[in-house]
Formats: sequence, structure tokens, C-alpha cells
Amino acid sequence: MISQSQRITIWTLVWIALLTLSLPTIVVLGASFTSGNIIAFPPDGLSLKWYAKLAMARDLQQAFLRSLVVSLICTAVALPVGTLAGLALSRFRLRYEGAIQVYLLLPFTVPLIGSGIGLMLVFGEWRVLGSLWPVGVACAVINLPFIVWSVSSSAVLLDPDLELAAQSCGAGRVQTFLHVTLPAVMPGVITGSLLMFILAMNEFLVSLLLTDARTVTLPVQIYNSIRSIITPDLAAVSVVFILIALLAIWLLDKLVGLEVFLKSK
Amino acid sequence: MPETNPDFRYPLRWRIMDMAEAIADFLWPRRLSKYTGWLFIMPALMLVGILVLGLIQIADASLRTLDTATYLPSDNWSLDNFQKALGSSVYFKVAWRSLLGAALTTAITLCFAFPYAYAMVRTQSPKVRKALLIALFLPFFIGQVVRAYGWLILLGNGGMVNDVLGLVGIGPVRLLFNYPAVIFGLVQYMLPFAVLMLAPALTAIPTETEIAAGSLGANWLQTLWHVILPMAKPGLVGAGLVVGTLSLTDFAVPAMLGGGSQDFVANAIYDQFFRTADQGLGAALALLLVAVGSLIVGLVFMVFGAGTLSMGARK
Repeated sequence: MISQSQRITIWTLVWIALLTLSLPTIVVLGASFTSGNIIAFPPDGLSLKWYAKLAMARDLQQAFLRSLVVSLICTAVALPVGTLAGLALSRFRLRYEGAIQVYLLLPFTVPLIGSGIGLMLVFGEWRVLGSLWPVGVACAVINLPFIVWSVSSSAVLLDPDLELAAQSCGAGRVQTFLHVTLPAVMPGVITGSLLMFILAMNEFLVSLLLTDARTVTLPVQIYNSIRSIITPDLAAVSVVFILIALLAIWLLDKLVGLEVFLKSK
Repeated sequence: MPETNPDFRYPLRWRIMDMAEAIADFLWPRRLSKYTGWLFIMPALMLVGILVLGLIQIADASLRTLDTATYLPSDNWSLDNFQKALGSSVYFKVAWRSLLGAALTTAITLCFAFPYAYAMVRTQSPKVRKALLIALFLPFFIGQVVRAYGWLILLGNGGMVNDVLGLVGIGPVRLLFNYPAVIFGLVQYMLPFAVLMLAPALTAIPTETEIAAGSLGANWLQTLWHVILPMAKPGLVGAGLVVGTLSLTDFAVPAMLGGGSQDFVANAIYDQFFRTADQGLGAALALLLVAVGSLIVGLVFMVFGAGTLSMGARK
């Protein structure tokens, strides 16, 4: 049923999009293997010397570890909070639900620079700036809508009769929650947690605002280095992000299937 | 009670469950059941509350002018910062650049995201679908900084694109640090968001409607215009909204691909806080940006409905 002209038009646009999406990744990957001393793509001969350099670069390693901690804190905070909120919005009748929705969408509608500066002022007031956990909490705040969305879109698919059936078979509230409700929303919880982890890992602007020289995270470190000199070790460390992204995609596909993102609500 | 076997031992799992139930009954008695929804939503309300506190702090800071003698914010409130922000031609220019950039980015992104989402949803081959999904998620999960870094390598004066142009006799062209570079970077950044918001809306359109339109004599452009686009409207609204607001307020792409000459509003706000150290003016600008952003979102919601952004619709 698809005419030739339609096919050509669509696939031309898709290929342009594919190229635009993939080029930076390929370039960074390629440039990291250069044996030259300046960044170049295609690389100037192949070598692993910039990866060897990476093994020595303590500042980059530390920044990576800090990013990891931030992501873990973000996920640990957002996972329970977002799951419960997603359940509340989809399975319970709440008064003023419209207002609550608007309120919970705030992290999404308030521009990141606004949220970042606001959180910076609040954490500054609380005198906690300079430690790492506020960055993790901040990431949880600004990305919260993502996990709420993914949990609630799983939760609406659960037939409420199943919970009633469990209860009429004698299951208490905790048991019903653990054995019926939670397994049903698990795909949403997994998707949401992975998103929270990866978004926190990559979070740049809020990290830039909330970190100082001692708590700088990897994206900020890369940004700062790019502004001075671009050396190939940055490409090598960027490959770490590519690997983490691949791992996350693989996990997401394995655990819930990437196709869930195509499902209509 | 049924007869129990004297050797039967109550399993540990059951005991733990009973204990958990007892604790739940104690902490949250059944008569409070109708408030369980509120119990569940409370942590989220509190977490977002930190952000609300932040907005209040910004509002407070925006009302205090910088005392140039002491470099401290003033004690009394005034609207001077807003007057300064709104009256300045520099900020007008920056605001115009951001708004135009957001509009261009939204239009271009949707033009590419729509066919991408369409191809992904309609393709018969699961392998093609998977490949398109992976190509979408990879840049999405890599983050803005690394992606902008890739463009810096590729588009720089000694980069591959200029090498190729050199082969056909076009001298090195400055591809970076100008407005088109920023728009291009934003489009690339926004594509995954747009496709992921569009795809569910396209899935909801049955193939049969297209076939029906075709059998009634519509060519594919007519089908697209009269059938698919109207039916995909919620997705288009959601995607346009997300792309528009995110690109309007972006910081990293203008900073990295614009090289300081193509600042958007977010960069101007950052500079006020960290370069000029005029917190008040920066806060006023941030508040204006929040207002403009919310206004756009609100208008689109009123005209087109909430699209795909609402959480947990069905009860």
C-alpha cells in the first residue's frame, strides 16, 4: 500500500536523521583511538595510548566516581518516591488531582537553569553545597516526572479487580502490594529507574551549578576541559559514557523491551 | 480452621508477612485507607517542594538590587531588576535569539522526527525497528556534553567536514560558533525526545485508516494531511511542547557550539550569577524565563489539551 514516492521521502528523511543522531558517537569513538597528539577524525593511526593515559588521570577517574555516586543517590531517592507517586496518580482517587499533576510537572516546566539556580540558592541556604548528595537529590527532583510517567503508564494497565481478588483470597494490604501491585508496575519501575540513573549520569547544567572544584562531576569536567584545550584523552573518557549508554540500552531491552516506548497509552 | 499437621511449621516467610501486615496496621490503620493515595503522593510533593522553595528564593533575590558600593544585595525590595532586564536591548536581543531558535528547532525537529517515528512504528521488520530504537536511545543516553564534543571534532576547521569540502575545492568554512551550528546542535539533541513522544501517538492510529483513505482515492500526501496528522495531533503537541521549551532554555549547546557569541537566555542568566555576580538581575531574568516557558506551556495546553504529558489518565 506504500507508494514509491512515499517510501523514498520517508527513508531519505530517516537516513538524514540517523546520520545526524549517530555521527557524534562514531566520531568520538574513532577519535579516541588516534595515535596522534591532537584530536582528529578519521584518527591519525590507531593506538590505545589515550586509554593508557586515562588509567593515570586521577582527576577524570575521580570525576567519574562522583558521577556514579550522584546517579546512585538520584536513583535511590527517585525510585521509591516516583513509584509511590505514579501509583497514587493512577490507582487512587485524589482530590485536586489536576492541581497535583500541574505541581508534579513543575520540574519539567520550570527551565533547568531556573531549577538549578533555585536549588543552588536553597542548598546554599541549608549550607550543604560542596557535598555530593545535594547534586543527587537535585537530579532526582528535576527528573522526577520521567519515573512518575513510566510507573503510572504501567499502573493503568493493571486491572483493579486483581487486587480485590488477592484481598478476597485473604491477602493483607502489604501482601497485595508486594505480590500483585508491585509486579504489575515493575516494567515501569525498571524503565523509570534506568532513566533516572542515566539522566543523572549525564546531567550537566545542574551539576555545573551545584558543584565546585572538589565535587565536579564527569560531564562538567569534560565541559571545563573542552573550554581550555581539546586533547584525545577526553575522547577516551567520553567512550565511558558511550559504554554506559550501551549497557543501559541493553538492560532496558533485556528487562522490559525497547518496544514499550512505542506503545500507545 | 483446617486440621493442622503437628509437624507443620509456620514458614518464616509467612511470619515475616504477618509481621509486616501488623506493622502496616499499626502505622497506617485501615480506617485511614481512604488517605493512602495521599500517603503515597506525599514524598513526591515534598521532593518537588524543594524546587518550589528554590523558586521562592529566586523571586526574593530578583527583588533585591545589587549595591555597587558593597557588592551585597539590598535589604529592601524593588522592581528595578525587572525594569533593567526588560528595558535592556542586549537582553531583548538574547531573548529574540532564543525564541527564534526554539521555533526553528521545533519546526525542523518535528519534520525529521515525524518520518522517523512513522517508519519505526510502521515497519514490518522487527530488526529494523530495533535498530531505529537503538540509534535513537544511544545519543539520548550519552548526554549533551559528549555529543557537542563530537560535533566540535567533526565541524572544526581541521575537521572531517572541512576536509571533504576541501577536496571539492571549497576552502575551510567556519562551521562552528555561529547560529546555524547552535540550531543544528539543538535539533540533534531534541530528535530523540520528539520521536519518543510521537511514536505512541502514531501507534494509536490503525493502519486500516490509511488503507481506507487510500481506497477512497487519496494519495499519500492527502492521507498524511487529512488523516494521519490530525490523528497524531496529541503526540505532535506533546513533542512540540517538549522540544520548544527545552531548546528555548538550553544552556550547553549554545555555550559549546555557539562559542560565547550565540548566547541564549540560560547563558545570560548563568553569566549574571557567575561572571558579573549580579544575582538580582540574574534571578529576575530566570523568573521571566520561567514565566515565558509556563505561558507557552499553558497556552498550548489550553488550545490543544494536555496531549501526552498527563500522568496516569485512566482510573
